[in-house]
Formats: sequence, C-alpha cells, structure tokens
Amino acid sequence: MANNIRNINKCIPRNSLSCIVPRLLTVQQYREYARPTSFPDFFQNPIFRKEDQAKLIESAELPKIAALPVRPPAVYQTSSAYHDPLVNKVINHVMEMGKKQMARNLVEKAFENIKRSQIERYHLASTPEAKAKIELDPKKILHKAIENAKPLLILQPIKRGGITYQVPGPITEKRSLFLAIKWLLEATNEKERTVHFPEQFAWELLDAANNTGKVVKRKQDLHRQCEANRAYAHYRWQ
Amino acid sequence: MRLHPILFAGPSQKSARAPQREPVPFKMLLPLELKKTVSGKGDKLKEAACMQEMAVMFACFKKSEFDQQQCLKEVAAFKGCYKEYSERMSSQRELGKKGILVPGEKKLTHRQLNQLLKSFPPKKSVK
Repeated sequence: MANNIRNINKCIPRNSLSCIVPRLLTVQQYREYARPTSFPDFFQNPIFRKEDQAKLIESAELPKIAALPVRPPAVYQTSSAYHDPLVNKVINHVMEMGKKQMARNLVEKAFENIKRSQIERYHLASTPEAKAKIELDPKKILHKAIENAKPLLILQPIKRGGITYQVPGPITEKRSLFLAIKWLLEATNEKERTVHFPEQFAWELLDAANNTGKVVKRKQDLHRQCEANRAYAHYRWQ
Repeated sequence: MRLHPILFAGPSQKSARAPQREPVPFKMLLPLELKKTVSGKGDKLKEAACMQEMAVMFACFKKSEFDQQQCLKEVAAFKGCYKEYSERMSSQRELGKKGILVPGEKKLTHRQLNQLLKSFPPKKSVK
C-alpha cells in the first residue's frame, strides 16, 4: 500500500520523463540486452550503424525516434568501417568463458592465415584471369563459407502413433546461421592436438568457401536425409 | 448365528453402485447456456506451407546430386516461399493478438470473435 502511494506521488509532477513516456509509447521492442538492465523497456536500442541511420533518415522516422531516450551503446556497438556483424557473431561463438580478447585474436589469426595462403596462391597463379578469380579478402571468404554452410532444411522429430519420425521442413534464417557457424567450429575442433585453432579454422573456411570439405558435406548429408524422409513431410502440419 | 454386515451391503437403489433405472432423472449441474467466449483451440492453422516448393527442390537436388549451385532457382523459390509464409503468420499473429476487427472479414480468429461477443453479448435465455 505504502509502495503504491509512493508511486503515485512520483507520477504527479507530469513533466518527469519516467511518468510520461511509458504512457505515450508502449513500444514492444527487440531487447538486445539481457533482462536485468538498469534501463526500463521504453529506452530504445541504439542505432549505431551508418547504414541503419541513413535508412531512418530516408524513411523520415528519425525525428520520431530522436525524442525518445536511448540506451548507451555497448563496447562492441561501433560505427567503425571495420565492424562486421557476422565477424562479431563468429567471434562470440568462438569465445569461451567470456574471454573475448582471446577469441578475437584467434579469429584474426585465422584471417591472417587465410590471407597468407590466398596471397601465396595469387602469386603462384600464372595468368591474370586465374589471379582475378582468387579472393583475397578473408572477411569475404568467411561470408561465402557461412553462406555455403547454411542448411536449407531441418529434421524435426515428431511422434506419430508411438513412432518418432524425422520430419523435414523449412528452417528459419536465424537457426540456419547458427547451425552453419556451429558446424564450422565443430569441424575445426576435430583436429590433431598439434594443429592450432587458427590454422584449422582457416582451412575449414577456405574449404567451405570453395563449396567442399567437411561442413559442406555435413550440410549435404542433412539434405539427403531430408530427401529420404520427404514422405513424412506432411506430418509437420497435422 | 452372526450375520456379517457385508451381506447387507450389496448394491441397493440407495447406493451409487446399483445400475441406474430408466428413465434417469435429469439433474442440472451447470446453467444451460453457452459461454460468453470461444476458446482458441480450433484456431491452430493446419496449412501445409511450401510443400510444393520443397518437392521441386528435392527433385532438383536428386538430379544434381545435392549440389546447391545447380538448383539456385528452386532454392530461391523455397526460401522465398518460407519467408513469405513466416511473415504472413507473424503479421496474422499480431493482428490476432490485438483482436482488431476488419469489416467484411469472413474468417475470424478466436480473439476477434471474443471481441465481437464482448461488444454484442448474447441474450440471456428466458427461463
């Protein structure tokens, strides 16, 4: 009871932000932060990429958002030209026990290895056409590798009449990305003890970018199994 | 001789163990009215989405030995179909959650129906 009264008292001065904004705006938004944050829900997520800001300016939504309170950006939310959301995601997947610096170093070392091997190949190539074909940008190779590793279908266990069928069906974009990164890392960790992570990761990325290797095979195996089980596909909707 | 009480405890018309005698008298346990709401149980959509596209894609995969590069058209069709479907479902879910009534709509969700029933409550039956 006392608590309620205090809340009411707090809301009487109408110019205070915390009283007015929630009433004006019941925007349910995607929360990038973990639940316990010191900022209430009506604080907007920061828009830190230049492209996103340009989009907002184009669609004339900026003046609407500009008046609202915004959470401070996290350390990784930068407008730097070198920021790549996918690379960031991969680094976060590589990370163990919150050792981000180490994960970042490992991924960057893998990029260095890719760059070295590609440059070597570039100089070994004799004709300019062959040289033009060789991709030297490790980030582009990572993008290509993940694109090639992404599965299109998913097998879902569905129980019908006491028997569990593996039922194929479409996969969401998010899940597909997750599986691609997970498979790449699992393939990388399946290595000799003497081979270091950055080397193996570089090889796996190059293989996947070439549409060969363990990860692409794993994806194709999944597709094969889906094809074999296609007769059960209608169970998904019953 | 002492008679055991069990012998007298057989199913009689007084106990519930006896078979009921026709006609069984009707007892009204709940008021004989419909509820003021409908449940959302029947609203689950049983639409088989993208089955056609999936079959086409599988056929192409089989032909090209699961090389995705040769089936770009089919893969794009399948992806686009699922994307369109999930967008449609999410927008429908959101509309359904709000229970907004669209004039002239034939198929109503249970939330829309409840909205209607709330604004035009069914008349109480006269006893």
